[in-house]
Amino acid sequence: MAPLYYSITTEEQNVSLTILSKSAFQEFVARLLPHYRVVGPVPHDIGYSFEEIQDVTELRMEYPTTILPPKKWFLPPKETLFKFTRKNGGVIQDPPETPPTVILGVHTCDLHAIQLLDTVFSSGQYDVHYMGRRKKTLIISIECLSPCDEHSFCKDMGTLTADEGYDLHLTDLGDSYAIDVGTQAGADLLQNYSSSSVATKEEIQKLNAVINAKWPKFSYRLDFDVSELSSIMELSMKSPLWEELGNRCLACASCTNVCPTCFCFDVKDEVELDLVTGQRVRNWDSCQLDDFATVAGGHNFRASRALRQRHRFMRKGKYILDAHKHLGCVGCGRCARACLVNITPVSTFNELYRQQETGSH
Amino acid sequence: MSSNGKPKIAFFDFTSCEGCQLTVIDSLQDHPELLNVVEIVQFREAMTEKGEDYQIAFVEGSCSRASDEPRLKKIRQQAAIVVALGACAHLGGVNALKALHPLDEVRKYVYGDKADWYETYDARPISAVIDVDYAIPGCPIDRNEFISVVKALLLGKKPPIPDYPLCVECKLKGNVCLYTKGQVCLGPVTRAGCGAICPSFGASCEACRGFITNPNDNSMREVLIEAGLTVEDITSIYTMFTTYQVREKIQQKG
Ligand code: SF4
Ligand code: SF4
Ligand code: SF4
Ligand code: SF4
Ligand code: SF4
Repeated sequence: MAPLYYSITTEEQNVSLTILSKSAFQEFVARLLPHYRVVGPVPHDIGYSFEEIQDVTELRMEYPTTILPPKKWFLPPKETLFKFTRKNGGVIQDPPETPPTVILGVHTCDLHAIQLLDTVFSSGQYDVHYMGRRKKTLIISIECLSPCDEHSFCKDMGTLTADEGYDLHLTDLGDSYAIDVGTQAGADLLQNYSSSSVATKEEIQKLNAVINAKWPKFSYRLDFDVSELSSIMELSMKSPLWEELGNRCLACASCTNVCPTCFCFDVKDEVELDLVTGQRVRNWDSCQLDDFATVAGGHNFRASRALRQRHRFMRKGKYILDAHKHLGCVGCGRCARACLVNITPVSTFNELYRQQETGSH
Repeated sequence: MSSNGKPKIAFFDFTSCEGCQLTVIDSLQDHPELLNVVEIVQFREAMTEKGEDYQIAFVEGSCSRASDEPRLKKIRQQAAIVVALGACAHLGGVNALKALHPLDEVRKYVYGDKADWYETYDARPISAVIDVDYAIPGCPIDRNEFISVVKALLLGKKPPIPDYPLCVECKLKGNVCLYTKGQVCLGPVTRAGCGAICPSFGASCEACRGFITNPNDNSMREVLIEAGLTVEDITSIYTMFTTYQVREKIQQKG
């Protein structure tokens, strides 16, 4: 569990907690710009998006949420894995290296999702492309002090705060940020580019008051404790709900494309007109699309939308947890916002729970 | 094959605005190297020569009169591969809209008192007249997709035309969904491949690329009703480019 309270007994016990006034934070970011690619939440149409910034005034640290999660900076929607030439027995050229990057303003739900992705891409087949970018990136996260909107359920999923996964973690104290230092790299960044000060007793008290005030603003939306989710899912394979969701679902994949924990991709070769050179590309894929589970020979082992919806929610609520020890859903609510037919994790999980309680399947 | 070993290709037009042929010319300007690997023997929009010896035929335009049929059949006889170029050829396109009104009325509206001088029938995709191997969807076609289709054909592969909804490309671009802004969109049932160009510029997708193989039409209809559309509105957005397909579906259902 995250530090819900910071001890105020002595300042030495809180060496990891420092304070940066908002104007000093602006200076800090401005000093990073010449040395790092800096990415953060910026306005985009009527929403927000994680984009590279050129100027600190573009940043909106108080944004509610983004359409796509910050994942795209580690796993781009489309990337070139390598280029090749079919001459002289074949030549392979690696893609350009990622510049050192700082991602600002990551919310804790997304932070939990990145921790899951780190586990996925570093275990089994080590993914040099994802991990290459990940290792060159510092994350400066920020605590949410009120719900981003009615779709989020981070409190249920245990992602409304985080005690690791960040290099620096900010909490907005009004005219300053309290900064929790998560890693040595984060400490160095602060040391080299900012003029932060160790938190005083009053500032720690203020931080505790802010954190105290935040929790009641978030409501629980699941009708059961999240620790039960995996077993609820296990007993739901034959639920009639899947057929119902399958009838409604448009198979548009918006839910998986906006999800911070989805990581399915497709790999293809693209050949140039000279028919000699080309590139191997990787694109995001989705289990909700019609031909996702079509294998050589044309057989589709998840041809129905009902089976695909079941697969999606089984992954979110159980399979990922079994395989990677992190929940496959962080409660960010993006899929619920994106779905035009109102298929949401909260309503799905609650309905499965209800069916089991009432023995209706 | 021509004596230089390059496959010969030809372009033909039927009832259309020629926008797709113009897009081909555009893409040739971006990719002049295409001419190193193919020889164009006929392309009325771009050259005066007319060769009748070709392996790949790109056909733009819908078939809108009986007298177009022999010409299409002749192209089919000659070409090893026939590709429908753009919505008119692929779907019937906007030309098929006239099927929503009595043919006599349409003729009078367009040709006035000269209506009897012009031969016409319900516009249809070229696949209603001849076998078509592949289609490059869109109104107009996407210039990059044209190049990737040609590449695939030269490599002997199936052209990589997506069969998933437009929402995929739209989301990957990080767009705010038009429904969030109180607009409507046919993205969930429309074949991707244009890079979601219309929603990216704030305009509704009207399915100029045709429908995906398994659209959830009932659910799409519910979404449009929920968004406040009347049955007439729905018919109008659903038939902009795809009147022929919608009518076929209705006929299949009986
Ligand atoms: S399943 Fe939905 S709520 Fe859960 S992490 Fe993915 S997008 Fe967020
Ligand atoms: S889901 Fe919770 S943690 Fe995530 S952005 Fe919304 S309020 Fe913050
Ligand atoms: S966003 Fe909704 S309609 Fe689209 S695939 Fe997901 S559940 Fe189905
Ligand atoms: S598909 Fe559209 S752009 Fe192409 S010829 Fe037809 S009307 Fe013109
Ligand atoms: S704007 Fe259209 S294409 Fe884009 S996500 Fe919404 S419905 Fe899909």
